[in-house]
Amino acid sequence: MKPLSTWFRDASRDLGLRLIAAFGLLLYTVFIIVPVLMSLRSSFTDENPLKSGSTWIGTDNYTEMLHDPQLRASVLFTLALAVGVTGVANVAGLLLAMLLNRTRLTYRVLRTVAFLPQVVSGVIVGFVWKAIFTQNGLLNETLTRLHVTDQPVDWLGNPHLAQLSVGVVVAWVLSGFTTVVYLAALQNIPQELYDAGSIDGAGASQRFRMITLRMVAPATTISVTISLITVLKLYDIIQVLTSGGPANATQSTAQYIVKTAFTTNRFGYASAVAMFLLALSAVIALSVTSVLRRREVDL
Amino acid sequence: MTVQHAPARTATRRPSRPGRPATAPGRSGRYRALRSPVRLTAAVVVVLLFVSPIYLTIVNAFKTEDAIVANPAAPPVHPTLGNLATALGRPDQLIQLGLRNSLIVVVCSVLLLIPLGSAFSFWISRRRTRPRAVILAVLAAGLMIPPQVVLLPTIRILTFLGLDHSYPGLILSNLGGGYFSFAVFVYVGFMRAVPDEVVEAARLDGAGGLRIWWTIIMPLVRPATATVAIFLSLWIWNDFLNPQFILGPLQGQTITTGLYLSVGQYQMDYGQLFGIMFLAGIIPVAGYLLMQKQFAAGLTAGSTK
Repeated sequence: MKPLSTWFRDASRDLGLRLIAAFGLLLYTVFIIVPVLMSLRSSFTDENPLKSGSTWIGTDNYTEMLHDPQLRASVLFTLALAVGVTGVANVAGLLLAMLLNRTRLTYRVLRTVAFLPQVVSGVIVGFVWKAIFTQNGLLNETLTRLHVTDQPVDWLGNPHLAQLSVGVVVAWVLSGFTTVVYLAALQNIPQELYDAGSIDGAGASQRFRMITLRMVAPATTISVTISLITVLKLYDIIQVLTSGGPANATQSTAQYIVKTAFTTNRFGYASAVAMFLLALSAVIALSVTSVLRRREVDL
Repeated sequence: MTVQHAPARTATRRPSRPGRPATAPGRSGRYRALRSPVRLTAAVVVVLLFVSPIYLTIVNAFKTEDAIVANPAAPPVHPTLGNLATALGRPDQLIQLGLRNSLIVVVCSVLLLIPLGSAFSFWISRRRTRPRAVILAVLAAGLMIPPQVVLLPTIRILTFLGLDHSYPGLILSNLGGGYFSFAVFVYVGFMRAVPDEVVEAARLDGAGGLRIWWTIIMPLVRPATATVAIFLSLWIWNDFLNPQFILGPLQGQTITTGLYLSVGQYQMDYGQLFGIMFLAGIIPVAGYLLMQKQFAAGLTAGSTK
């Protein structure tokens, strides 16, 4: 315990710093913590900006969610997208990273280029891929010219193909990120490990399983977690590419929240769905992180 | 939380980093010299295929509509600036205004987030372990919370403050969101690595917290500032949801919402589309290419043990 006089002197001496720090924390409280609590409260009401006041309706919104086919479809699509995209982006990222893990200038240039999908905004990504995938788009024109197909494939108009197309685009964006993360991890593996493995008679596939996969485990944890969280938050790419269509086939839960809130003006119900998405993200992020962390230790 | 530990781990690892390049050249030299041309060809082909949408955007921005339709993948044999001129000559000044508004939002947000995040991190990194862990855990949640969850209440809070549908409102909400969490996690990792003696010595010389932070700590954590500035600039620049709803359609568009509103509404030919996309994407891409070393360092810092 410091004497009171020193404490006072310290406090006044550090006043400026404390004020800035406190202001930062205050803003975080006002724009993250308070909004989450407000959303939680709204989720038990029938709040609607078009009518004044709101009524406490208990858990009605949550009961309604159980029988909401659009919500159900959006959650299933979001989860499928999260799992599929995370899997593809991490496998592709690791493979691409292994291919590019050399020091020559050309490889360094290629590495720089491979990150580009992460640099441009989701809106640009959406529009460029839309030009590729749309009915009379670049992909169909090329396929027809090469006589692969007779008539254009409806990449964004057929519900299943549209879901697949969204998956391709999101996996593409995330692969730029995972490649760089895995490259950083690969560069930290000492060559001696591979040499020792070769001497002990380990083949290429054994060296990959016993050395590479184990050494990049921490990178896998980060890369998988961030991929999952990114898909759970996903909004801009889908909004531009398909707007959630056709027939809501590519509507993510995040998009459904925005639509419920701003198109149908049901703030209360949108808040309840938002609370669900928050809980879902927390459960997925925490459980996946803990499983992968344990795997890091086991490996 | 993953992200919470990541920067701390690196900070301790940092000193060993200069040793790494020494092992790397040996690796490539030793490795099956014969297969290297095959490998190089494969790498070039795979990466080019991977970035083909970006390649298409760049080449087709400089081709006429006829040339694009004839063969989208061909390089611009007779390059034209017509598409770019059309994009810049639009009566709604989509590109010019969008770039200007995005620049204002990014510069104001990042210039304020850096002192807020670093001062807070300095303060918290000198606290006792227990309260520090609790506060950092609360901040970690900010990285994970989907922005759609806090969007509606944020707009109501800004309305209450009289700042809804305004640039100050958008910037203020940027300062408090997950961006603040990110800044704090990067800074805390670096600041833990600053020895206590440095701070103690300055204390004995009579310097206050504010002065120690600004004149001693900030120069020591410059790499952290670079990482924070680069990534936050990119994210805020590319943000779409918040400008769309916090700013709204009547206050002028950022580059992302502007593209969404103008390009989404009308059918346009490929030349125009790619011209606009090229101009809209060129600033972040140029920034990335100029600062790719810091980019890679930042990503490495956040993601390896």
